[in-house]
Amino acid sequence: MRLPRLLRTTSFKLAALFALIFGVSAIAIGAFVYINVKSTLNRQELARVQSDALALKGEFDSGGMSDLMDAIHQRQHNKIAGGQNYTLFKSNGERLFGNMPKLLLKAGFKHLTGPPDGDEPPGQLEQLLVYRQQLSPDLWLVVGDDIGRMRDLSADLLQIFGLGLLFTLTIAIGGGVAVSRTFLQRIDNITRTAEAIIEGDVEQRIVLGGAGDDLDRLAATLNRMLDRIGLLMDTLRHVSTDIAHDLRTPLGHLRQVLDEASRHATSTAEYHAAVSRAISEADGLLDTFAAILRIAQIESGSRRAGFRRVGMSDTVASVVQTFAPTAEDQGRALVVHIDPNVEIDGDRELIIQLIVNLIDNAFHHTPKGTRISVSFFAGDGEAVLEISDNGEGVSPAERERIFERFYRCESSRTTPGNGLGLSLVAAVAGLHSATIAVLDNKPGLKIQIRFPMAGGRENGTVHGAAESAVFRTRKNSIA
Amino acid sequence: MKLLLVEDDVENAAFALRGFREHGHTVDQALNGRDGLYLATESKYDVLIIDRMLPVMDGLSLVKSLRSAQILTPVLFLTTMSGIDDRVEGLEAGGDDYLVKPYAFSELNARVNALARRPPISNQVTILRFADLEMDLLKRTVARGGASIDLQPREFQLLEYLLRHADHVVTRTMLLEGVWDFHFDPKTNIVETHISRLRSKINRAGDPELIQTIRGSGYSLRATTKTA
Repeated sequence: MRLPRLLRTTSFKLAALFALIFGVSAIAIGAFVYINVKSTLNRQELARVQSDALALKGEFDSGGMSDLMDAIHQRQHNKIAGGQNYTLFKSNGERLFGNMPKLLLKAGFKHLTGPPDGDEPPGQLEQLLVYRQQLSPDLWLVVGDDIGRMRDLSADLLQIFGLGLLFTLTIAIGGGVAVSRTFLQRIDNITRTAEAIIEGDVEQRIVLGGAGDDLDRLAATLNRMLDRIGLLMDTLRHVSTDIAHDLRTPLGHLRQVLDEASRHATSTAEYHAAVSRAISEADGLLDTFAAILRIAQIESGSRRAGFRRVGMSDTVASVVQTFAPTAEDQGRALVVHIDPNVEIDGDRELIIQLIVNLIDNAFHHTPKGTRISVSFFAGDGEAVLEISDNGEGVSPAERERIFERFYRCESSRTTPGNGLGLSLVAAVAGLHSATIAVLDNKPGLKIQIRFPMAGGRENGTVHGAAESAVFRTRKNSIA
Repeated sequence: MKLLLVEDDVENAAFALRGFREHGHTVDQALNGRDGLYLATESKYDVLIIDRMLPVMDGLSLVKSLRSAQILTPVLFLTTMSGIDDRVEGLEAGGDDYLVKPYAFSELNARVNALARRPPISNQVTILRFADLEMDLLKRTVARGGASIDLQPREFQLLEYLLRHADHVVTRTMLLEGVWDFHFDPKTNIVETHISRLRSKINRAGDPELIQTIRGSGYSLRATTKTA
């Protein structure tokens, strides 16, 4: 079972494919080299034999038969050019000199087999290339050369290529198997982790090879994905627990009201009072549900499709203006500073809700008379909204938690509210790729939201992209 | 008033029907979109109340069909909480208002009343009058009994909204949407605060109260019978 699986791996298939391509191209190159070498050798051989014959004809032309015979003897003595075979024929075919078999006397080349001269394999005849040259009307010179060695060379060449090819293919396939086995082990590692997670061990993570290669990067990404899913699952678990917990209280109240009415109410007026109390409890529950749904909807990101240019300066100003009478009634100073004409890309309705919730939060959690400042300014490609107060502030430990769903600070458990106002702010900020910072206003609390300015996306200054809002808490912040 | 309610949720429909009949309205009911379209094209209604999610033909298609047939009866869409985003879609399809379920009947009633009387107020009106109160929309001035009153922009908008819906109940939500453009409940008392400021500005000593609080519903611009 092990081997077939190995052969089915992608890396093995790749190795096999490379081996095939390499083999085919090696054969092609080999054939090319072989044919060329062979034809070059052939040409050289032809030229050598022909030039030798012509040189001997020159000897004959200048010095007659005696010079020719001297030259032939000298050549045979010196074994020049590997020892050619020289034979002289008369036109009628009578052999005057040499040992070549009789042949048709016609100018030009011819391949023939001659008597063995000792250097060929046993039982085989000498392979000869002959050149016939007429010296005089009655005299022919035939120069022959042993081309057996050349044939041997070709065979050797083929053999070398064949062995080389075999060696390469063995290495390629062997390497493929080795690489595939390593690859398979690492894939098995990922598979085992995935199976463990399916079995319920959600804390399992893939062990990295440590080489930082593509598989490691994939494994690291998968691990990050698992972390993120784990976090989301945790959040979901918390949210459902929180919802159950948070809705029990108002449901309990509702039940109490109805229970009391059914046992004690006697007059229509008393029933009326109980019913309107029950309705207001139910409304509170419905509001909580609506808020949860709205947050979920915002977090789904579907509203991003409807983003338009929003004139933030005017929007902030208009919302702040709405709170002016309340601030006056409560003896608060509402300090406002707004940079004009700052725009962002977003959902106006949600932005309004974000500003309302932030200001409302400041009003709710600080005593009457506390100063509230709203400032909105542009800087460094960002539109920054700051809502601050000079109240008691929030302890550093609680600062990170105020944006959690249903989270209520210890000091504000008794004030009305469902603990979802700032969660909604966080969701809206996340939708707009804005970052939230909770800072110490010394004294008091400062919430700072930095939106990417309109057009920022095109200019490549994206902040946080599609990530949810980033929370930063700075302990030593600007006073 | 003659109303058509297109709603497939029987319990919710019964709740609305009972309420409307108590208020003396005639209500026809359809349980799916196709029947609703048929009724709306066959008879004349003052307001159509249409659920977004309907069997056979959904509310959005129903209203699109009506509008393409040149039937311009005002439409109030009912949507569920999870369909909060449907508002814009509904208004673009030809709806005139929307209400998120579950709702208080008084809210539905106030909105239906507001829709039914929408046509008479034309944009050409530049002066709104009620009792001895007069608002000039061009000069942006308000006067009561001839004495001019200085209002903040938001207070002016608030009074204008009340004047345009004079004698009818406007709910807190209608004011938030119409005056502030807040399509969510801000959970603060901004409406109450602004109404109380407006009252103190338009009521001189001894003047009868014009802005009435309707318990459990909202506000209404009504002249208190001076003899009472």
